[in-house]
This record gives sequence, structure tokens and C-alpha cells, in this order.
Amino acid sequence: MLPRTIDFARRFARNRAAVVGLLLVILVIGIALAAPWIYPRNPLRIVGRPEIWPFVNSRFPLGTDSLGRDIAAMIAYGARTTLLIGLCASITATLIGITVGAAAAYFGGWIDEMLMRFTELFQTIPNLIFVLTIVAILGQKLEYVTIAVGVVTWTPIARLTRAEFLSLRDREFVQACRAMGMSNLRIMFGEILPNALPPVIVLSSLVIAGAVLFESAVSFLGLGDPNVSSWGRLIGDGRTLIRTSWYICAVPGLAIMLTVLALNLVGDGLNDALNPKLRDR
Amino acid sequence: MRRIVLRRLAQIIPLVLAVIVLNFVLIHLAPGSLFDVMTSEQQITDPAMLDQLRHTYGVDQPTGVQLAKYIWSVMRLDLGFSYRQNAPVLDVIMDQLPATLILMLAAIAVALVIGMTAGVLASVRVNTIWDNLISLAAVFFFAAPSFWLGIMMVVLFSVKLGWFPVGGMRTIGVNNGVIGDALDVMHHLVLPATALGLFYAATYARVMRASMLEVFRLDFVRTARAKGLSRARVVLVHVMRNALLPIVTLLGLQLGTILGGSVVIESVFSWPGIGSLLFDSVMSRNFPMVLGVLVLGSLLVAVANAAVDLAYLRLDPRIRAR
Repeated sequence: MLPRTIDFARRFARNRAAVVGLLLVILVIGIALAAPWIYPRNPLRIVGRPEIWPFVNSRFPLGTDSLGRDIAAMIAYGARTTLLIGLCASITATLIGITVGAAAAYFGGWIDEMLMRFTELFQTIPNLIFVLTIVAILGQKLEYVTIAVGVVTWTPIARLTRAEFLSLRDREFVQACRAMGMSNLRIMFGEILPNALPPVIVLSSLVIAGAVLFESAVSFLGLGDPNVSSWGRLIGDGRTLIRTSWYICAVPGLAIMLTVLALNLVGDGLNDALNPKLRDR
Repeated sequence: MRRIVLRRLAQIIPLVLAVIVLNFVLIHLAPGSLFDVMTSEQQITDPAMLDQLRHTYGVDQPTGVQLAKYIWSVMRLDLGFSYRQNAPVLDVIMDQLPATLILMLAAIAVALVIGMTAGVLASVRVNTIWDNLISLAAVFFFAAPSFWLGIMMVVLFSVKLGWFPVGGMRTIGVNNGVIGDALDVMHHLVLPATALGLFYAATYARVMRASMLEVFRLDFVRTARAKGLSRARVVLVHVMRNALLPIVTLLGLQLGTILGGSVVIESVFSWPGIGSLLFDSVMSRNFPMVLGVLVLGSLLVAVANAAVDLAYLRLDPRIRAR
């Protein structure tokens, strides 16, 4: 196992951009974890004069917003929200996608037809409109935003899983398992899935980036959880002040962009490292 | 050919039916019904009046009957009545739809023109400074949230430079005739369309570059060169046409996302389209309107997807042969 891990790390490290992305992701995770220690008190608390520009007052390195809240503290706590929603939504999407895709390819026939129609349905519904509807109906809570984002992002994972399963389903080792009398579930998840997983993992890591963008759009529109600090909401709140204090919008936007960028780079790096065949394309 | 078109269009019907059922289920999952919201907003408390209204809106009937009635009425293009605008839902949506369509089409045009130009340029000058710059820009625009790009563009081009209006679709109180009006709308359209389109431009640039490079290696390109065709003709007519297919696929898959993205962009630029309408309806829990936007939005995407599939037949004659 160890030599394989080292080999994997070496292949990942060959992609310089991916290493930079990984460092950025680690930095964001670090900030998210350290937020309660750096800023022990509620980040949504008013701490100073409103609209202090960044780098002016050393107490507020990123300035204060229209209410006099510390932007740096809100960014640090926003990282928690963003990463949590991104990760959970991606896990939700991956679970739904793998289940649907695996069942469709393994059983084939009318089950395949039904499940693929179902997938097509979710591809047709305009995704952000669907997220907004779910959040509007169920309520503005972190869990519901997460589920909503997961529910609209699983379709590519299902299609990819299905394609992978289709190519593996009739291989000799699967036939051997069948001949041994293994149950369908065990063959699907114990034998085929581990072989189909690498490209699916790459796609899931890219889904995290997409989920972060979705979450920021939802909270930008003011439909996110009002009780937690979020990058998107900070932009939405700062929108009214763009004539005088445009930094309130600029700072959290840069945070979103860098995080998504880093996640995308890591996804590309994983792709290179896990699918070495495709690397030279 | 006509049979293919009809068969493709027939596939839309079950999709739209499923969307209707799905949304109906969602609405009935909601805590607090549409009826509660409606009556509380208009402050109706008289029990007799409430019963009367319950009967008028059919809320007193079993869920199955309500669903059947809803499907039947959507089939006749009756999406219900919006108590907020005091007009049929369909009329309100149709009033706002053109603005959203203009925005979407403009954004797609921006994405295609910028993305394809950048992709072709990068593939022709592969591994030069141009290629690297384009790839870098693509990576950045792929990661930037469109609403944030929009706000930053407003800060730069509207507030600081004063080149473009901050928002809206028309200058209020000016009448320049038809051509002047069109120019005015286009002037208002530049920033929102660019903000929405740049994300997709980034995707198209990456895909275009990859697929161009793929096609460049094929034998028929060597033949075209050997025939003595000019470099520009080989690139534009032979390679680009074949490299275009992945872009068309992608465009078809992304139409729903573009419609969703325009909701956010409309809110940034106070563009009077479906997005603003949906946002207002979601905020006021105006469920008939939310349902209507979802159904019509899905229908729009389904029809556009069918159109994309048919465009395939034109672009690639090999598909027809199958």
C-alpha cells in the first residue's frame, strides 16, 4: 500500500498547478478550523466603525462592513460554511449518483431505462431555479441548502458511474463472482465499485467546487441561512454600497474565486494521478 | 427527417409531466400551504369567507384530485392565477420571458464568440505565451461566481468609468423610435450578458482547444494540407467544423444552468426577466408562480435540447446515417 501511495503522490506532484491548488485548499481548511480560536466571539457581532477600508486599521485587516462587523472574522467563519456545504453536498450528490448509475448499468433493461429518464428529468430542470424552489419551500436552513445543492448536482456522477459499470459489468472477474454465488449488492459495491471509483472521485472533487458556487449564489440572493456567516451573503449585503465601499463585495468574491480555483486545480491533479492513461491528452 | 423531429419532440411530453408531478409533490411538502399565505397576506379572518375561498381555489379537495386537475389545466396552458399580480400566471411569465430570452441568447453568443476564438487561438499557437495566457484566463473565469463578476464590472465600467448603465433594461423616459430603443437595450445588455457568458466562455475555450488539438492529428487534416489549402482554410473550415461537436453537446447540457444563472444576474442588474419574477415569488411564497416558472423553464430547456439534438444532424451528417 505504501509504495502505491508514494507513487500516487509523485504523480500528483508532477502537476505544479495541482500542488498550488492543494496548498490553497489546505490553507482554507486551516482558516476554517482555526476560526473559533482566532475570533472567539460571534463573527456577526458589531465591533467597530462601519466602512473601514482594508489595510487602514490594523485591528481590522480586511476592514469592516456597512454595519461595522469585522470582514476578516466573517471570511474566516464563512470558510467553515462554504467548505461544510461544499463537502456535504458533494457527498450527497456522489451517493445518489453512484446508487442510480450503478443500479442502472448493473440491472439494465427497464430499470436502466427508468433511471436514465429520471436522470434526464433532473438534467432538464433548470438547477438554480430548482434549488431556490426547494429552499423556499423547506425553509432557509443550512441542511436544506446542502440537500438542495446535492440534489441538482448528482446527474453527471450517475452518468459517469453508469458508463464505468457498463464497461466492467461483463468482465471475467465479475462473472467469477456471479459463479461463486455472490449477492448482487456485494458484486456491485464490493467488486465493481472499487474499480469504477477513481474517475468518480475526480468528478466528486469537481462537484465540491460547483457546490461552493451554488451555495454562494443562494446566499447572495439572501436565501441562505441567516444565522451563519457566508461569503455569498457578505457580497449580497455589500451590494448596496458599491459606489463608496466596493471592497465589501470584492474581498469575499476573491475568497470564493480562490477556493473554487484551488478545488478545480486539485481535481485536475487527481485526474492526472488517478487516470495516468489520460494524462497526455 | 420529419419522423426524427417528431419523435424527438414527443420525448419532451413525459419529461414535462414528471416536472409537474415533482413540483406538485414539493409544494405539498411545504409547511404552511399556499392558502395560508394568501389569506394571511390579505388579512382574511372570517371563517365563512375562508370556506368560500377554500372552495373557490379547490383546496378542500383530496390531493389526488388536485394533482389531476393541475396536470389537466397545465395541459391547456392554464398555470393558475397569481393573487399577487392579480393576473393569470402564464400572462405574467410571458410578459417577462422575452427579457430573459434576450439575456440568455446574448450570454450564449458572448460565450460562443469569446470561447471559440480563444480556443482556436490557443490551439493554433499551442504551448506559446498566448496559449498559456488563454488557459490562465479560462481557469480564473471558470472559478469566479458570475454575480460577483457582474458587480465588479459595474464598479469598474459603470461607477468609475461611466461607460455602461448600472442596471435595468431601458433608459426611462426616452423615446428614440425602434432602432434607438434596440440600441438602448443593447447598451444595457453588454454588462449582464458578459458577466453571465464569461463562465461558459471559459469552458468552451478549454473544450475547443482540446478538441481542435485532437482533430489536428487526424489524417484528413494532413490531406487537406497536402492539397495545398491555405492554413486559414484548413483551420476554419476543416478542423473547426469537426471540433465544434463537443461545444454543441456542452451547450445543450448547459442550457438549464444558463437559465438558472440568469436568475442571479437579473437580480444583480435589476433586469426585468423571469429571474426577478421568480425571486419575488420565492420571497412572497407565491407558489403558483414558482411552479409556473419551473414548468415553463423546464419546457424551455427540453425544447432547446431537442433543437440542439437536431442541430447535430445538420453539423454532422454521419449521425443521420445511423
